[in-house]
Amino acid sequence: MIKPFFYLKPRTLEEALDALQSDGARALAGGTDLLVEIRNGERRPETLVDIKGLKDLEDLTFDPQKGATIGAGVSLNVLIDNAQVRKHLPVLSEAAFSIATYQLRNRATLVGNFCNASPAADMAPALYILGAEVVIANAEGQRRLPIHEFLTGVKQTALKQGELVLRVEIPRLPKGKMAFLKKQRIKGHDLALVNMAGLADRPTGALRICIGACAVTPVLLSDIGSLYKDAKDVEKLAERVAELSGTAISPIDDVRCSKEYREDMVRVFVKRLVRQICSGG
Amino acid sequence: MKRENNSVKITVTVNGIEYRETVPAHTTLLQFLREKLLLTGTKEGCGIGECGACTVIMNGKSVASCLVLAAEVDGAQVRTVEGEIRDGELSALQKAFIEHGATQCGFCTPGMIMSAQELLERNSNPSREEIVEAIAGNLCRCTGYEPIVEAIEAVITSKDSPRRST
Amino acid sequence: MAETNDGYTYIGKSVTRRDGVEKVTGSALFTHDLVVQGMLYAKTVRSPYAYARIKSIDTREAEKWPGVRAVVKGKELSYKVGLYVLDKDILAKDYARYQGEAVAAVAADSELAAEQACEKIKVEWEPLQPVLDPKEALKENAPRVHPDLEHYGYMKGVFFPKPGTNIPHQQKIRKGDVGEGFRQADAVVETRFYNPPVQHVPIETHVSIAQALPGGKVQIWTSAQSPYTVRNLFSVCFGIPHQNIRVKVPYVGGGFGGKAGIHLEPLCYVLSRKAGGRPVKLTMTREEEFNTMPSRQGLYSEFKTGATKDGKIVALQVRYYWDAGAYADYGVNIGRAAAYAGAGPYEVPNCSIDSYVVYTNKVFGTAYRGFGHLEVLWGIERNMDIVARTIGLDPVEFRMRNVLRPGSVTITGERITEHHGRVDKCLQAVAKEIGWKGYKTEQQREEEKRSGKVRGKGIALLHKAPAMPTFTSTGVVLKFNENGTVDLMTSLVDYGQGTYTTLAQIAAEELKIPLEKINIPWDSDTSFTPYDWQTVASKGAFMSGNATIMAARDCLRQLKETASQVLRCPVEELECGSERVFLRHQPDTAIQYKDLAYGYVYPNGNAIGGPVIGRGQYIAQGLTNLDPETGQGLPALDWTYGAHGMEIEVDTETGDVEVLKIASSFDVGKVLNEALVRGQIIGGVVQGLGSAMTEEFRFSKEGKLENPGLVDYKILTAKDIPRKMTQHVVETPQTDGPYGARGVAEHPMISVPSALGNALYDALGIDYFRLPLNAERIYFGIKSGKKEHHG
Repeated sequence: MIKPFFYLKPRTLEEALDALQSDGARALAGGTDLLVEIRNGERRPETLVDIKGLKDLEDLTFDPQKGATIGAGVSLNVLIDNAQVRKHLPVLSEAAFSIATYQLRNRATLVGNFCNASPAADMAPALYILGAEVVIANAEGQRRLPIHEFLTGVKQTALKQGELVLRVEIPRLPKGKMAFLKKQRIKGHDLALVNMAGLADRPTGALRICIGACAVTPVLLSDIGSLYKDAKDVEKLAERVAELSGTAISPIDDVRCSKEYREDMVRVFVKRLVRQICSGG
Repeated sequence: MKRENNSVKITVTVNGIEYRETVPAHTTLLQFLREKLLLTGTKEGCGIGECGACTVIMNGKSVASCLVLAAEVDGAQVRTVEGEIRDGELSALQKAFIEHGATQCGFCTPGMIMSAQELLERNSNPSREEIVEAIAGNLCRCTGYEPIVEAIEAVITSKDSPRRST
Repeated sequence: MAETNDGYTYIGKSVTRRDGVEKVTGSALFTHDLVVQGMLYAKTVRSPYAYARIKSIDTREAEKWPGVRAVVKGKELSYKVGLYVLDKDILAKDYARYQGEAVAAVAADSELAAEQACEKIKVEWEPLQPVLDPKEALKENAPRVHPDLEHYGYMKGVFFPKPGTNIPHQQKIRKGDVGEGFRQADAVVETRFYNPPVQHVPIETHVSIAQALPGGKVQIWTSAQSPYTVRNLFSVCFGIPHQNIRVKVPYVGGGFGGKAGIHLEPLCYVLSRKAGGRPVKLTMTREEEFNTMPSRQGLYSEFKTGATKDGKIVALQVRYYWDAGAYADYGVNIGRAAAYAGAGPYEVPNCSIDSYVVYTNKVFGTAYRGFGHLEVLWGIERNMDIVARTIGLDPVEFRMRNVLRPGSVTITGERITEHHGRVDKCLQAVAKEIGWKGYKTEQQREEEKRSGKVRGKGIALLHKAPAMPTFTSTGVVLKFNENGTVDLMTSLVDYGQGTYTTLAQIAAEELKIPLEKINIPWDSDTSFTPYDWQTVASKGAFMSGNATIMAARDCLRQLKETASQVLRCPVEELECGSERVFLRHQPDTAIQYKDLAYGYVYPNGNAIGGPVIGRGQYIAQGLTNLDPETGQGLPALDWTYGAHGMEIEVDTETGDVEVLKIASSFDVGKVLNEALVRGQIIGGVVQGLGSAMTEEFRFSKEGKLENPGLVDYKILTAKDIPRKMTQHVVETPQTDGPYGARGVAEHPMISVPSALGNALYDALGIDYFRLPLNAERIYFGIKSGKKEHHG
């Protein structure tokens, strides 16, 4: 049962930021997380500020030199349908496609997914490995944070009252192979037991892997880039990275699966991920 | 912006008919359709977007109406299952559902039909995989899904498949 | 399935179901959709504890909340509800016995007001130590879920609650001498299995509207499977005479047994009474559907099997421990019925079964498709494979040597005749369909494992008879309309099976009129539609079909009687066909049905006859109660046998299973409508796969349900169905069934988990003993490196 609240539809970004100043005001984009939380009594905002339709938030641009921009109003299906993103940033399309159901993806947004800050957020690992930056607007202007500084805890972000995420920027087009993997309980829509994204580029020796649903925030594996450069055998590399991932994560038991299963699946999927992005030269 | 009360005025076209209503801000589109407009074809199965029973087409896209506020459909075009029959003639999809046993208890059927119809309108020749992806967000406990997929495939392969537009 | 042409016009044909148009246009009204003049909306306050004493409930603030018209708590109500054991209060009175149990309720002008008022109700609790496991509940100093068990009313002669315990019923089957049997055995095998509680997950949740009318009358609209059962239990509960209670059932959005008894109706009624007679509607949210509405009981099953080296079962000793939850509901009957089926479709000369239904502090179990048979056959069919392997026999061959055949005697002393189905044919059909050639060798498994994917095949059998009282009966009325069409009136509820279509086919066939001329008004209404016991047990087509035949013949008799006067001939010279009554030796001399439907009018104005109304009835013939000590008796109207064969592929790194193929076969006696039979099989198989692969209630240590929602209670989606499903039928006529038919509604779900468990052994060489067989469980079995995984 959705609890009563006020609804505001600002016509400009300024109006939106003004409305978001008051305690108890929350931005409403797709609503597929927020409205559920309100119904379940997990959040009781006083006012919902509907940011859909603000042109500052509708960007979906792609430039081989300048990188990509995905506005806060861009829905997951619009993102998935974008041919440029599919071609050059497939890890984003794959992650988006794994989320929820087709009809929910018509409403849910990429920005909304990571602003909800579930430890299992499916968009987060991809954004980490792409070095995404979150552009935030407030009464003073704008600020930006790297994604790993934006997500601070379980359902917690660095966003302050009165602020609004405008867009996410991928500063430059990454080179190399990338992929997103997700372990679910069923083939149909499900939350991740474990998810991860990886990017590998042999010439520069770049190897970035980020694992979700295994700690309060996504875990970006550090110091693995050099391993790739010197690796002679993909299988051995995969094994080594899997080993390192094991020490980096801190999963829990929950209603979805046990800690041990998560740990073991991280090993399995990290290996699969490395094989997928690191083979073929 | 005024905040004296938490009602919103909306103008929305549902199945081709324009409505002007004032509703409490927290009213969902699902509640608006069922309780205000008395269009009870669209159902509530879970209230959290997991089951698809509340699926309608909004501005050409299928959405879970339990997670859309009535306030958010101001100026929108909404289609529900009641609008699929035109001048007493069932749509090709509705006919196929009947012929292929794609409906048993009938409770998931309205949402299922709207998801399938939206698919056929954006993709005239979907693969089985694409069909399944389009309806995977609609839970059915009776049919086991296979007859539903068969009904949708039958519409694709039949020679006359009238398409709907808003 | 191939259709045969055996001279019928409609029987055996895949006619399209009648109710399609209403459902695809959204015009079908479910209780979910109904609004009654002056209606109020109810919400409940539920217990956060699995077991707690209610010290006090303060409703004063709630009563003053704007829009509230009635507030009720358990203490005000002195009624007991129950199907077989009267152990339940409408609202928990002194004790809440499961987390989620309703303890107070509010009726208000809107759902929002009702919910807000509920938040204002203050309950003072004294949490108690709950008992959460049936085996724990059987121990000497276990907490007593019902300390007053000895004072409850119950159905004597059929159920036997044990005072001083947590046992509302124990069923015994004793055939032969198991001790002697074990002495004859060359191998004795012991196995143990477990099924967790699960939920029906109907897409329409439970919802009821009740109105307390002046003059002590009651009107109820409800999403239910049995309008007459609601009326009867309501009458028993409140002491209101039956004729003053009217129950209406419109379209129902799925039942699967969960809506078979009485659930929300009494609460809606007491709220209505307190609200001055305004109708009150209570709709379960999805969370409440999981947490408050009943489940399917969990089960521990234990087998001790004695077999000879040439593959004959000589002794079977079984213990079933049913996790009934907090109330007996249907649970006691499930414990009874599954016991008399509890050896599987096999000839077992010496058998001893003890089936204990046990109270625990969890949401209570009720009827669910299969009525205990999926639960017991999980263990039975897994056990059969294990015993086969122990004595070195192929599991299909082992089954063939023991299946019931004409001449066999069941464990309750029923003799199998050639009118019973042929489970051996079902077995052979599925074995052939999946290409069963015996288990893989260990070497084959090891080789396959290197690729990371292994395949396996498994087979399981099933049987079930309707679990119903010996006196179960049904009535059907056919009434003609002036244009020669016919209305078919029944209180059997069609909640998706398509039975109304089948009954229409039967009526059209018997009356010899076009199918389109049979009209079935959808809603059931105890004021208008004749009695049907319940729409459960896969007996609808059988019993209501027979009643329809009788009603049709009654119509023909009336038509002929009037026609014989008009045509001035003896009745015996008349025939019916093509919507007319005609002289057999002079077919052109005829009168059309429509000219007889409301009586015949002569040219001069004289009139004879009258409205043609055919009455039909059917009562189960010859059923007996079971002997309380030995379980011997005749409980079964008919037995439907079946089999599943499954082929799977396992990802050995993750435990994920892909079901490549399920082949299913049932001896249905006679296919009345192939499309409907296919629909039941596919739907049941997919629902069975849910129990097999993903579904379970997860409880915390304190007994709180941790997954009361679709996010963490996963049912299969369109993406999860098997790559291929085939359906096969055997037609060994059931002599007393309509055209030889027997039921097949519940059966497709049964033994699906067993087939999967057996296929996993073939694939991995590992025996699993607990459901669900989800990826995590399968994975840990593989990881352990052991041949048995009990976790």
